[in-house]
Amino acid sequence: MNPLSVRVRDLHVEYEVFTERRAGLRQRMVTGKGSGRRVVHALKGVSFDVRKGDAVGVIGSNGSGKSTALLALAGLLPPTSGEILVAAEPKLLGVGAALIGGATGLRNIRLGCLALGMTSEELDDRIEEIVAFTELGEAIERPLKTYSSGMRARLHFAISTAVQPEILLIDEALAVGDRAFRQKSRERIENMLANAGTLMLVSHSMEEITRLCNRGIWIEKGVLRADGPVKDVIAEYTAASNATP
Amino acid sequence: MEHEADTDDSASALRPLVTDVSARQYIRSVWARRDFAFALPFEELRTSHLDTFLGNIWHLGNPMFTAGVYYMIFGVFLGANKGIDNYIVWLIIGVFSYQLTSATILGGASSIASRQGLMRSFRFPRAIVPISSTIGKLLSYGFQLGVIAVAAFASGVAPSRRWLLLPAVLLVHTAFNLGGAFIAARLNDGFRDVQQLIPFVLRLAQYMSGVMFSIDRILGRKGWVDTLVLMNPMVSIIDFYRWMILGTPVRPGPAVLSVFLAGAVLVFGFRFFVAAEHRYGKP
Repeated sequence: MNPLSVRVRDLHVEYEVFTERRAGLRQRMVTGKGSGRRVVHALKGVSFDVRKGDAVGVIGSNGSGKSTALLALAGLLPPTSGEILVAAEPKLLGVGAALIGGATGLRNIRLGCLALGMTSEELDDRIEEIVAFTELGEAIERPLKTYSSGMRARLHFAISTAVQPEILLIDEALAVGDRAFRQKSRERIENMLANAGTLMLVSHSMEEITRLCNRGIWIEKGVLRADGPVKDVIAEYTAASNATP
Repeated sequence: MEHEADTDDSASALRPLVTDVSARQYIRSVWARRDFAFALPFEELRTSHLDTFLGNIWHLGNPMFTAGVYYMIFGVFLGANKGIDNYIVWLIIGVFSYQLTSATILGGASSIASRQGLMRSFRFPRAIVPISSTIGKLLSYGFQLGVIAVAAFASGVAPSRRWLLLPAVLLVHTAFNLGGAFIAARLNDGFRDVQQLIPFVLRLAQYMSGVMFSIDRILGRKGWVDTLVLMNPMVSIIDFYRWMILGTPVRPGPAVLSVFLAGAVLVFGFRFFVAAEHRYGKP
């Protein structure tokens, strides 16, 4: 068996949301609490192991906690309790990645790479290659806010994989790309997996998951429902979602 | 769910994703991202005023109009200029340097909320957020220092060797501002109402800092009140700038104290901010 790369034990994530207007001071003093405040229990004790070379497809219905799990694994959302152990710093590739909308694509690539810890010197050496990978052409000089979601995905994929990550987490970011981009990103991911990398992929495309992943994890309402070979987990998930339309 | 892998040897090679780091390690990780901390405000500055008609001129226009208003009220109508040589330069030194402090603290307060998207996309030490916002304010202050220099020349002030001390004065000033930005950032992340209150605190402090009129006007009531007023580091920091450019005197005791206080605010602010590191970025 390959060595472990991620271990998650009894992971809980809760956060507070304000569903309505915050309670006024008077009401708080009378009732002792705000009215519209609700605690969302997004993950309720999830545990799993992932090994080097594993590609794990994470499936589940909307709002099941998949994205929360990836955010927590990327260290971007603090868990309420539980343990996350990793072999390397995971990198998250999400659709909502925000940089500076008014700045050009090129400047956003620079910022993103610096945010991930590259030095200016490394960046100067690599920038041409990163820009070439995006295949955005002249659009690279246009402000990021004028980009389509597919163009943003190209940009962010190029940033996140500029330094080959050992653990890559992808949240729906490939689906918005066109055929050529999906092909290209798949090659890069397969290359990473062959080098003992680890992939966790959230997607609603069972085809994409089957093609890239060897293992499946099904999360429903914050609880792990199934964990095993990708075909079995998908079959279980599909059967369940057909049964309860 | 059973995990037979609990006895797996390779588990010992794993490390916790979130660890408590020492202040030294934390500072090292911030230093490693210094290029990012500088690039962020540069890009912001480049794009922030692109859509207003006069563009980047507003970085200068805003403080100059403010100084103009104060000149009208305090210089012309209230006679605060009596007994102060070269009141215009004296005033703009006070206004610009106090505005740097208030803009930095306010910017720090809103920085965590306004960088939510960035923090949900990339993992980096969160102190970078208030630090880069502080650097951004310093960048526009650089232009304002140029305006002060031009105004000083125009009014017949001769260059002096004292000007060489500018980096030291800037260092003390920035230490105080950054400490304030750290404190405001954490407070505002806990209670969003803080952002509404800070402007009033800053405005009150402005009248207590000798910006538009000499601090002597509020001294001489009671001994301990005077002591408190003079302990405000901004009084001495503004005096440092005026001493450098205009040669006006600095009160030695409060001046030394202000250097220590600025350092203390920075150290406390940094620790206070970092203690809640894992909370920033929650939805």
